Amino acid sequence: MTPARQTTAAQIEARETEVALAPADRISAPAFAARAIGLRKVFGSTVAVDGIDLDVPNGSVLGMLGPNGSGKTTLIRMLLGLTRPSAGRAELLGHPMPDGGSLALPLVGALVEGPGFHPFLTGRENLCRMAASEPMLTGAQIPVAVKVALERVGLSDAADRRYRGYSLGMKQRLGLAAALLLPRYLVVLDEPTNGLDPAGTRDVRRIIGELHESGATVIVSSHLLAEVEATCTHVAVLQSGSLVAAGELCSLLDTGGAGLVIVTPDVELALRTLREAGVTAYLGEGVEPAVVVGDDGPPAPETISLLVRSGVAVHEARRSRPNLDELFAQLTEETG
Amino acid sequence: MTLTELLSTDVPRSAPLGRLLGSELRWVLRRPRTLVLLGVFALIPVLIAIGVAVGDRSAPGLIGAIAGNGLVLPVAAMTIALALLLPLAVAMAAADAIAGESAQGTLRGLMISPVSRLRLVVMKAFGVLVVATLATLAIAVVGVLAGMVVVGTPDGQLVTLSGSTVSWSGALARIGLVAVWTIGQLVAVGAVALAISAVTEHPLVVLAAVLGGLIVFGVLGAIPALEWLQPYLLTSGWSAGVDALRDPLPLAGMLDATGRALCYVVVGAAATVARMLRRDA
Repeated sequence: MTPARQTTAAQIEARETEVALAPADRISAPAFAARAIGLRKVFGSTVAVDGIDLDVPNGSVLGMLGPNGSGKTTLIRMLLGLTRPSAGRAELLGHPMPDGGSLALPLVGALVEGPGFHPFLTGRENLCRMAASEPMLTGAQIPVAVKVALERVGLSDAADRRYRGYSLGMKQRLGLAAALLLPRYLVVLDEPTNGLDPAGTRDVRRIIGELHESGATVIVSSHLLAEVEATCTHVAVLQSGSLVAAGELCSLLDTGGAGLVIVTPDVELALRTLREAGVTAYLGEGVEPAVVVGDDGPPAPETISLLVRSGVAVHEARRSRPNLDELFAQLTEETG
Repeated sequence: MTLTELLSTDVPRSAPLGRLLGSELRWVLRRPRTLVLLGVFALIPVLIAIGVAVGDRSAPGLIGAIAGNGLVLPVAAMTIALALLLPLAVAMAAADAIAGESAQGTLRGLMISPVSRLRLVVMKAFGVLVVATLATLAIAVVGVLAGMVVVGTPDGQLVTLSGSTVSWSGALARIGLVAVWTIGQLVAVGAVALAISAVTEHPLVVLAAVLGGLIVFGVLGAIPALEWLQPYLLTSGWSAGVDALRDPLPLAGMLDATGRALCYVVVGAAATVARMLRRDA
């Protein structure tokens, strides 16, 4: 179990310099956008979250993965201060939750457990109501903020219809708009693509990308692995309330890696050459004739030059990287 | 504004209270059921007035007294509505205020905004107070108008139950007093209803508990062997509003009931705050 302390020493140093440069009386830059320290939540006899340690670095897009009931939403709810942890600490922007909520939450936008709005109000009225309780918006800014948020999620045309008549996807978009009413330091999206059509899913992906570019930190929980793979820099995998893996997406995928794939028409010659050299090699599965070289072999350049010297036509050589699907299955099956 | 600037500026901890209350007010008044309820309350005095006008004019008791003077009507209507209908309206408002928002999923939105839990209680209590006030005023105002139109006001005066007469402005002052006193009783109901609303996610539980409670109070109050319970029952002083129709004005009954209501308000408010501070959203 690896806690997501993936920040390098250089990054930490850079951040510390940044903090030191800020005027002393106004420092509030947190080390991490969100942290869970030994976080645990018990409902009766059910352990929903079982001692999770997780750091969400500033500016990262963290994909939270896990089967239904793995504790994703409970973890998010504790981070947002919606429910009190049974043990451990939840920190948001460096403030302990739930007590530091008034300091952290104005900078945090969230869509948790689906959109919640009143059916008798229109989309715009619902958003205005949410905007009225946003500390960082002045009264004069509210109409503009609401208009911009509605445009951003593509709801401008339906803004003045009652929420009652919204489709599932439109409801989800409105929930997203509420999280994006103002520039946020951290945006938490719990299953944002639920009920969305492919266009809506693309929109969510675009919005996450925009947030990431603006430097915001994003926590997105999803069961759609492709979504996470496409948009996230970091991943946390939950299983039965425990964190089974966490870290940068690319390094996690690397650890699950299995050897080198060499595409060649001279499969038999390649296999013979490699085996004679004492390298684990076997015939790969797939459409193209390929040889897979095991992880324990010599470094890739040596393997390839050996093959070329023996007269094997190497058409292509690549690392075989599992995709998130395989990694996820592998991780959740190990402990499940 | 860049994100780091977001952090370095002083973050406002909360939206202005006035704006929160305004937003709550709009929400309460946009809710169709609030409007229907207010309409129904406006109908009560009209129905009583019509009943008196077309019915037997020598009926006994309070209703009979209305026949003699229209200004009795609003007080009678408020007293009748206070028995069950007004508490129902207040319980509905309180049920929607917390349990309803929770069931709708909107409570967590407010908490994430963030609205602190104490402010949330203030907001919600304000919304319930608005409903209690509007419902009572609807009865009082329509009562005065219906009384004047349908029954009439002999010589522009109020003939009290004691047989003396009170001037037009004196009568209005007495009606206003009953309205304010009624709202006070409803605030007690509202505080307890909010406390129940803070515990549950089901608005119906709040309605059932409040109305069930009032009925049980009524039954307990009617059992002679349990007379010692009377001072503790909120409902036992609810007929004191009619005192406003006597001359000289006996205030003891209304004061007594107000004191009792205050106790319920304190207990209800404390329970609501205690529960909301711990509540999961």
